[in-house]
Amino acid sequence: MEFIDYYKTLELDKSATKADVKKAYRRLARKYHPDLNPDDDSSKKRFQQINEANEVLSDPEKRKKYDEYGKDWQHADHFEQQKQQRKSARGASGGYGGFGGQGQAYSGNFDNDNFSDFFEQMFGGGARSRGTGRSPQFKGQDFNAELQLNLSDVYTSHKQTLTVNGKNIRLTIPAGVENGQTIKIAGHGGPGAQGGPKGDLLITFKIVNNTKFKREKENLYSTVDLDFYTAILGGEITVDTFNGKVKLNIKPETQNATRVKLKGKGFPKYKKEGQFGDLFITYNIKVPTNLSSKEKELYTELQKLRS
Amino acid sequence: MNLDELIATEELCERYSVEHTFIRSLNNSGLLEVITIEKREYVHCDKMAEFEKILRLHNDLEINLEGIEAIKHLLVKLSNLKEENMALRNRLGLYE
Repeated sequence: MEFIDYYKTLELDKSATKADVKKAYRRLARKYHPDLNPDDDSSKKRFQQINEANEVLSDPEKRKKYDEYGKDWQHADHFEQQKQQRKSARGASGGYGGFGGQGQAYSGNFDNDNFSDFFEQMFGGGARSRGTGRSPQFKGQDFNAELQLNLSDVYTSHKQTLTVNGKNIRLTIPAGVENGQTIKIAGHGGPGAQGGPKGDLLITFKIVNNTKFKREKENLYSTVDLDFYTAILGGEITVDTFNGKVKLNIKPETQNATRVKLKGKGFPKYKKEGQFGDLFITYNIKVPTNLSSKEKELYTELQKLRS
Repeated sequence: MNLDELIATEELCERYSVEHTFIRSLNNSGLLEVITIEKREYVHCDKMAEFEKILRLHNDLEINLEGIEAIKHLLVKLSNLKEENMALRNRLGLYE
């Protein structure tokens, strides 16, 4: 466990007054407050550090103890005990009274209890102030989780059981969910403060494409190899769609990179049951290789006919 | 509207230790929708997370309602941009 320089955290020097501490805390809290930086873990962490620094430096007694022992904080309790013994020997009255809550630490639904080990060790768990003295009810912390699924898994709606903080949650994952999309499961987050409601569970989906199709929202894209003769003369081919095979008529004289649309053969539309996007197929015409002398002869004849 | 989903503003004032005028100001500035049924005012439970966020910004950071309005507007823009960014990233996958 390392020493934490709370002055540095609040960008102050040791001579800072109480007003300076308050000003610095306000300035930094406005910059890093989690409500102003949604989904930004680094800001959240920085905010917790600022909160902790403010908790100590805005409270005269805590600050005094912190300043007095500085980097020797690990021996603070020992020094404190010795001091008390000396005072008792001199007949002085009044023990060490612990810390009162005078700071103005943030009291919202974030990791308010997530103080550093350094803080816990030096000031104890009960040393935290409780905001402005009021005790409003606050919604519990929102939990964030990431769920990795294959693209083929989200082609249909399905139920899945997740274990979050030791609790099993059965949820329905709607077909067509997107990569990076977040869904909210209300009431499955952390417990509320002062009897407030529970937070929510926010699940962000990471969709791994395990198929040969490319996806953009509800549309799918694929490339199909087409032999030279079918491209020229036309014909019928069988192509893969996401849920089976279909037969396609190829028009004569089909050009390379021609794109056709198979309506309704794409991906399911999110939360629109029974509706699907389209599948776009691009033809990649394969020109014959390793021609025999007879073939070369015939192609030359064809060439002459065209020129 | 289901009454079970509504929270009386008096209850909000009591639970969150705020003045009724504060709730009214939020309503006037369009930050919080207040529903009046038979002369009694309510807030829908779906709006509570937003209400708590406003309260935190107001109490913890001493931001006034005009400031909160501006922040809310920018956060919506940020959220839209994030969504757009994600959609573009997913689209980029088509060309990789």
